[in-house]
Amino acid sequence: MSAAKTVDTAPAVGTAPSADLGTRTSGRRRRRRHDAPIALLATAHVLLIGGVVVALAPFVWMVATSFKQPQDVFTPTPNLLPTDARTGQWAGTFANYLQVLDLGGFAVALLNSVIVVVVLIPGKLLLDALAAYAFARIPFPGRDALFLVVLATIMVPGVALLIPKVFVTQELGMGDSLAGVIVPSLVSAFDIFLLRQFFLTLPGDLEEAAMIDGAGRLRIFWSVALPLAKPALAVVTITSFIFHWNELLWPLVILSDQDRYTLPLALQALAAGRVAQPHLVMAGAVIAVMPVIGIFLVFQRRILDGIQLTGLKS
Amino acid sequence: MNGVHRSSSWHRRRRDALAGFAFTAPAMLHTLVFMLVPAGAALYFSFTEWDMISPAHWVGLRNYQEILFDSDLYPDFWKSVRVTALYALLSVPASLVTGFVQAYLIDLLRRGQSLYRLVFYLPVITAEAAVAAIWKWLYDPQFGLINAGLEVLGGTGPDWLGTPGVVIPALALIAAWQSGTAMLIFLAGLKGIPRTYYEAAEVDGANRWQQLGRITLPLLRPTTFYLVVTGVIAALQVFGIVYVLFGGNAGPERSGLSYVLHLYLFGYRNGAMGAASAMSVLLFVTVLLVTAAQFRLVPQQYEE
Repeated sequence: MSAAKTVDTAPAVGTAPSADLGTRTSGRRRRRRHDAPIALLATAHVLLIGGVVVALAPFVWMVATSFKQPQDVFTPTPNLLPTDARTGQWAGTFANYLQVLDLGGFAVALLNSVIVVVVLIPGKLLLDALAAYAFARIPFPGRDALFLVVLATIMVPGVALLIPKVFVTQELGMGDSLAGVIVPSLVSAFDIFLLRQFFLTLPGDLEEAAMIDGAGRLRIFWSVALPLAKPALAVVTITSFIFHWNELLWPLVILSDQDRYTLPLALQALAAGRVAQPHLVMAGAVIAVMPVIGIFLVFQRRILDGIQLTGLKS
Repeated sequence: MNGVHRSSSWHRRRRDALAGFAFTAPAMLHTLVFMLVPAGAALYFSFTEWDMISPAHWVGLRNYQEILFDSDLYPDFWKSVRVTALYALLSVPASLVTGFVQAYLIDLLRRGQSLYRLVFYLPVITAEAAVAAIWKWLYDPQFGLINAGLEVLGGTGPDWLGTPGVVIPALALIAAWQSGTAMLIFLAGLKGIPRTYYEAAEVDGANRWQQLGRITLPLLRPTTFYLVVTGVIAALQVFGIVYVLFGGNAGPERSGLSYVLHLYLFGYRNGAMGAASAMSVLLFVTVLLVTAAQFRLVPQQYEE
């Protein structure tokens, strides 16, 4: 659910005045050279590397299992490589992936998930940015009251509205369809808030100049404000992608036909099977997780800095 | 001149008003249809008996009364409340402590900060369904990585997801693994503490632990407060992980029956949408109360 993205603005963390920044960094460097002794740094690295092992082990275990042949999965000593349980020879296989994609319905689910994000995210960016721009830059009667309504909806816990939202979506004829997954998430109050904060910081001169040239608001929005808002739009795009790609609850309650399942639903159905088939489930998990990890690795600095700044929590 | 100016500004105001309404109309319409109407509907349906198929039938406060007090009709309601409270009580500190230690250590480093930050955030972006599927396999009592690792260290691990008393601690461990958000926010908080404070403490001869206790932790109080509030709100709504781990059984002796899982099972398996709506309203009120209580009880700012 869009509102389940329990988000809020961070309190004023890390908001030292920027003029202070230079002295702060140099002070920081001095302090470090002065008193972060090598022994302490080494200890920190050792502990953190231990943390890295713990953080990554589940992923390694997932990938290893996904390449194992069924008879090599249940071994008394866990094996982090897909080798033959008896001979120890390399026995990695892609068969689990092919089986999951075909019989497990993951090919269809992958396509459905792609359709959802490809339609949802541009649509959502446009609607959220339009509203955010108006709330930030266009004076119109009732603006603050409307914005307050949007803000208030951020406070509502997502699951509290689950049942009536399903009802409304079904009444609109979108039950058990991808439209029913997409349309109810087309507007996110938090993203409107985030983009509005960004549009507020834009200098007014560019708009003034465009207006004197006779440009209308729509034109200014499209060719002046939006291009300037690229960094904020990027943060919204990436966080929305991660959130909606991973989302389980809303598709679960709105979809029943397996042919419309998105990846998390297909994975849930596979994991719920009576017979334990970790090699298949892990292959499915890899398929579900890889696109997000890929995007994350590419844009990690932008995402992490953005989250650090806004306190965005997905 | 003045008149021309006034009329052009009047024109501009009119055009701005039109543009403002037009730009916000789609988002406001969406908010009306998918937020405000459902909010009203949740409240209305909570006073009805309703299966989503035949028309709702007004029953007044009966749903609330039965959910809260009739243990024959709702034998697991309070169980789900206890499960969720215990989950919040264990998982929020688990992820906050882990996140703080990670952030504190990362902040000490001269290089490699962004690499550690990246790795510790990976579990957060991983889909709930995948997290649950992976951990179900990690926790496997016979063939899972965790118990095998414990055996190597000379111990024997429990049947994590098969023993009622261990289920919630096992979930808290997963929450600790997903400490990336707390780590990031704490890191931002640590970077916001002016270095001059530490320098002054050093001049006064305070050691690193004293600095941690007297400067770092007190100054991070707003950050911690924010993480506790958002963490508790999220924990009260936990669903995906328990649903994928346990499905409709909710674990051994229903030890994984979170509030939302209970609500979901009631609404969707039993078709009791009126009662499920009442549970939604109760959850909403609880979230508001918990948030308000935290704002009142917890000192947010460090007073010098």
